[in-house]
Amino acid sequence: MPTFDRTSASVGDNRLLQAMAEELKLPLLQIARQAELSAQERADPEALKAIELSATQALWFVDSYLLSQQLLQQASLELEPVAVSAALQEAAHVLDSLAKQHNCSLELQLSGRFAPVMAHRLGLQTALIGLGSTLINAMQNEAEPKLVLAAHRSRGGIVAGIFSQTEGLSQAVYQRGRALYGEARQPMQEFSTQAGAGVFVADALFGSMDSHLRVAKHQSLTGLAATLQPSRQLTLI
Amino acid sequence: MATILLLEPDKQLASSYKRALTTAGHEVHWQNDAQAALSVLDEHTPDAIVLELHLPNHNGVEFLYEIRSYPDCDHIPIILHTMVPAEHPGLGHAYWHQLGINEYLYKPQTSLKQLIQRVNNLTAPQPA
Repeated sequence: MPTFDRTSASVGDNRLLQAMAEELKLPLLQIARQAELSAQERADPEALKAIELSATQALWFVDSYLLSQQLLQQASLELEPVAVSAALQEAAHVLDSLAKQHNCSLELQLSGRFAPVMAHRLGLQTALIGLGSTLINAMQNEAEPKLVLAAHRSRGGIVAGIFSQTEGLSQAVYQRGRALYGEARQPMQEFSTQAGAGVFVADALFGSMDSHLRVAKHQSLTGLAATLQPSRQLTLI
Repeated sequence: MATILLLEPDKQLASSYKRALTTAGHEVHWQNDAQAALSVLDEHTPDAIVLELHLPNHNGVEFLYEIRSYPDCDHIPIILHTMVPAEHPGLGHAYWHQLGINEYLYKPQTSLKQLIQRVNNLTAPQPA
């Protein structure tokens, strides 16, 4: 498994910041136009809800970037046993409003019980939310978008991630996006019209947890996931 | 009233633009990708096109080249309403002009009111 190079993290900081800034433009623009429209139309509740959601999404991007930087700046990140099912449930809860806005159905698929994994609890949740928001936005024009938050066992550990039927996502697209983010406005053009900052923040967060993000399969779905190591201490009990 | 083809990949933004333009008296056909927009052009000729460059599965520039090659579409006014800043390397005003764009609007700095004003200007009947 490739390890995350912390020495190169500062080089990536500027690129990540640029990707974040690019991504933030959309929710902020949505807020501005919705607010303008609401003022003209004397504010209807639906428009106000959309304004709230866009502002929340923009704030989430800022917070997730700050968290990724905070974790990367720690010389040795203290990982703790984290229940992967709880992290996925929390991510689903946070993503619910965005999914509803885009008529996207959310489903949790946890096949069996999992031992806790070694992770940073907030880092794992934030990474999953970042992946989910990027996929929901990427699917916004599909007829019946569906997002599956799932975990399954693999030989390397427990795979946790976000999956969908959306086309265009492949390991090659993701790797090219990884090389281009911060420089190209649509680094994963085949899959998303946005900057994909949620994916790259998740990549940085999983990297800080000594894991790595990759394109993975879950049943017939394709998505982005990371393999996490079960907590040895608790596995032995 | 004018018929506007709005090419905007983001659903929420499209909803705001569509509502504002409709309230201003225009008929708006919204499409989120270039392929679907080209199908619309096969059936209707709009009075103006409002276009984002960042489109799914298609580059907005390719779309521009394609519609400018259609004999009955070469005269349609096009407003480039985009997240791409004018100062982006290789994408300046001269390039927009070469592509046959009538107006360039940087989306983050263009209010609904300004967009409507530009659409009105471009679609207003010309004095005989």
